[in-house]
Amino acid sequence: MAEQKKLLEIKGLKQYFNEGKANEVKAVDNVSFDIFKGEVMGLVGESGCGKSTTGRTIIRLYDATGGEVLYDGVDVHGRKSKKQLKEFNRKMQMIFQDPYASLNPRLKIADVIAEGIDIHGLAKSKEDRMNQVYELLETVGLNREHANRYPHEFSGGQRQRIGIARALAVQPEFIIADEPISALDVSIQAQVVNLMKKLQKEKELTYLFIAHDLSMVKYISDRIGVMYFGKMVELAPADELYRNPFHPYTQSLLSAIPAPDPIAERTRRRKSYDPASHNYQDNESVEFREVTPGHFVLCSEREFKQYQVQSKH
Amino acid sequence: MVVEKVLQVKDLNISFHTFSGEVKAIRGVNFELFKGETLAIVGESGSGKSVTTKSIMRLLPEHNSEIKSGQILFDGKDLTKLKDKEMQKIRGKDISMIFQDPMTSLNPTMKIANQIMEPLIKHQNMSKHAAKERAVELLKLVGIPKPEIRVNQYPHQFSGGMRQRVVIAIALACNPKILIADEPTTALDVTIQAQILELMKDLQKKIDTSIIFITHDLGVVANVADRVAVMYGGKIVEIGTADEIFYNPQHPYTWGLISSMPDMETDDEELFSIPGTPPDLLDPPKGDAFAPRNPYVMKIDLEQEPPFFKVSDTHYAATWLLHPDAPKVEPPDAVKRRQNQYVGTGVGVGAGTFPGNKEGK
Amino acid sequence: MINKETLISKDMFAPAHVDPSKSEKIAKPSLNFWQDSWLRVRKNKGAVFSLVVLVILLVMAFVGPMITPYSYDTQTTKHNNLPPRIQGLENVHWLPFDGTLTRRDGSEYNAYEVRKVDAYYWFGTDNLGRDLFARVWKGTQVSLLIAFMAALIDMLIGVSYGAISGYIGGKLDSFMQRIIEVIVGIPNLIVVVLMILVLKPGIIPIIIALTITGWTSMARVVRAQVLKFKGQEFVLAAKTLGASNGSIIFKHMIPNMFGVIIINTMFSIPNAIFFEAFLSFIGLGLQEPNASLGTLVNDGFKAMIAFPYQMIIPSVMIALIMVCFNLVADGLRDALDPKMRD
Repeated sequence: MAEQKKLLEIKGLKQYFNEGKANEVKAVDNVSFDIFKGEVMGLVGESGCGKSTTGRTIIRLYDATGGEVLYDGVDVHGRKSKKQLKEFNRKMQMIFQDPYASLNPRLKIADVIAEGIDIHGLAKSKEDRMNQVYELLETVGLNREHANRYPHEFSGGQRQRIGIARALAVQPEFIIADEPISALDVSIQAQVVNLMKKLQKEKELTYLFIAHDLSMVKYISDRIGVMYFGKMVELAPADELYRNPFHPYTQSLLSAIPAPDPIAERTRRRKSYDPASHNYQDNESVEFREVTPGHFVLCSEREFKQYQVQSKH
Repeated sequence: MVVEKVLQVKDLNISFHTFSGEVKAIRGVNFELFKGETLAIVGESGSGKSVTTKSIMRLLPEHNSEIKSGQILFDGKDLTKLKDKEMQKIRGKDISMIFQDPMTSLNPTMKIANQIMEPLIKHQNMSKHAAKERAVELLKLVGIPKPEIRVNQYPHQFSGGMRQRVVIAIALACNPKILIADEPTTALDVTIQAQILELMKDLQKKIDTSIIFITHDLGVVANVADRVAVMYGGKIVEIGTADEIFYNPQHPYTWGLISSMPDMETDDEELFSIPGTPPDLLDPPKGDAFAPRNPYVMKIDLEQEPPFFKVSDTHYAATWLLHPDAPKVEPPDAVKRRQNQYVGTGVGVGAGTFPGNKEGK
Repeated sequence: MINKETLISKDMFAPAHVDPSKSEKIAKPSLNFWQDSWLRVRKNKGAVFSLVVLVILLVMAFVGPMITPYSYDTQTTKHNNLPPRIQGLENVHWLPFDGTLTRRDGSEYNAYEVRKVDAYYWFGTDNLGRDLFARVWKGTQVSLLIAFMAALIDMLIGVSYGAISGYIGGKLDSFMQRIIEVIVGIPNLIVVVLMILVLKPGIIPIIIALTITGWTSMARVVRAQVLKFKGQEFVLAAKTLGASNGSIIFKHMIPNMFGVIIINTMFSIPNAIFFEAFLSFIGLGLQEPNASLGTLVNDGFKAMIAFPYQMIIPSVMIALIMVCFNLVADGLRDALDPKMRD
């Protein structure tokens, strides 16, 4: 990974719900990572680990409790003029999880897709607007006849592609995909992933790909971050993470994925993760440390040394 | 070796009457379930996998569904013909079901104990006291710590994985002959899913029940299934032992399913994907329902529905590609890799016929 | 499961060509929300029948006063308290349209012949000799007007109040909800009576009196819906595209609430009619010579024993309107409820 330009820097991001109350939830707790231009950054973890909240906070759907999100060196959060906000909305887009809930059932597909075009005034005329819609529909493998239909007439995979077309309409640079395939059937997942990969190459997009399906994440991502209870516990290039997971939670997560391979399944051993196994003492500081180049683990000084020894073998 | 058939589904046809017309959800499904085995039914949403199992339990909505023809034979009785009262005696006792969402399949206002005791008292005429003892026993069996305390708690005091364990405990309360699990782990996280799958396999050995396991996750199928039935467009298109389906698939749809999942080796190559969308069963296409998405489509696929071709004693596939006159086609790379692996491991065709190949688990 | 060796010519196994784009085709005809809902409403016989009855009543409310030769406020004292008599039907004795009345001793007499009146009052006349046919339709007109206006204003206030409260949320939401609770907490009869005493009875004061408390249920329903939609992904998607709050509320939220809003309004119309009738009945309604169904029932009630038709006819009208509106609303609820969609 030579000299890559940082597109997004997330520094100490915090998102607490019900702050200061008895039921305070630290959904995202001091998470830092960078996303380089043109890469696919995967974010995995179990439900409730804060991966979706991280994505939504980055795109300002929630106001962060603390920390910074720098896009091209500019702070995304904090006070912004309307113009700055709009510009930011164009650069950063999102694809959602539930293809049934992410399209307004009362709008025709043409109006769903053209919403961004209308908001940002990207069409010169009505005709231009429709042409852009047709082009987007064809980009995602649908055809122009679909423009006058309503969302309920489409299958899950088709709707997800419409959602992608909507995000592409404003010509973004960075797309957050929040579990875009987990609600889809296996045969359709591949369609959507292939489409996303193709678009990334053609349009030089950068993705933050949030998912709990680790095999797909491994396939599409360049680097993967693993989250556990609001904290990032490990971050490494995709292959490296699968080959040498250091953090016991990552190991447990990887050992739990069933492979579509009956022979391998008969011998697979599952590891379980017990947070108490770290045995952290009060005076130990648990930090995100770089064990090998580009491979970060949340660990104490003692574990750090241990991991470094491990990595030499 | 003669294996006992516990359930036989014969030429089942089910339709739904909707505002837009008749939806032919199940179009001639045949399969058998043997004693002590796990049969996985895979397929995408709308392929009819859930409808098939719901019809076994007779849980289809009565006002708009209709069993057009066919039989479901269990214990010498045709379940499609039973009266509601007779069916109630079978439900929960001989055949029980686990649903996808553990959050909604328990009654939130009832204590766990009462929910487990209900079928025991109803079907086995147990006394309240005995039923409660059995409830504690069952919770222990499904791996819930401190069952004596937990049994008196309410569902909201349990986590998702724990609830699914409770649901399993209820389903197993009467030692059913058949357990139908409809995507029991889809709503759970991978680590919890792994625990639940282990538990189910463990319990199956202990109480020797047959399981019909519905899922769309091929990884889960590989983990639990002895035999696999692949459904598409309201029909079974391929059925065989797990090894046969995963290492020697014959139907192009199965090829598509298997190769559309990235394994740990595939990286930069494009994923194989099945183009298009599933058929609209309101108006099923003529001939093979998969034909419009089939890259190997032949003229006959558009005219005539393929019959089942025999691959081995346990393995059948409904595709014209197996007809002697059909041209030889190359399956996708991912499938070829698997076929090689299969030959490589020496579990060649016919080597491990069901149920002899079970001890590997 | 046996391989059928039927005769299949070899060329059938030649590769065929299928247009891949065809598999993305949607076979079903395109139906928008309203067409789809109408299909559902149509299945509900009761709702369709009620709808037809309501349309007839609505037309009659405007046409009725015109097709009788008598005006609703002309007093012909000589012709007072005449029972219903309709040409043609007067000879059918078991129908109540032959102009006969019953004396206290039980004997029947024909009021028209005895009093030598050569006229046909289809619904009879009241104690001032005004034509009840004209008055009933005029009354229906006024009652429906009051009910529609009240429901419309309820809807406008309720939807905007609920949408603002739910969308902005936080402290403002709590504050606005407390206001609703206070309004709901005061018995609305007291509020209405006070309002009418202050404003003097009339159509507008009654509408105001009805709406001053009536909008709260709509506001609550709309707020709940807004809270639900706030977290939905299509709303989040609009936010990330940079949509303004107004466009999120009006383009994305409200259209998705049409169903609930319409149903709520449909149920509030019969309530308003009933409440108006009730106010008139206790003497807080319209003043003479104006008529509403409530005032007609009130007038008829005074002569209920001697001239029962004077009360029965407007009462039947009120009952009919209320039942029909409720049935239509019920049918709409089934049709518009997204949970019922397959």
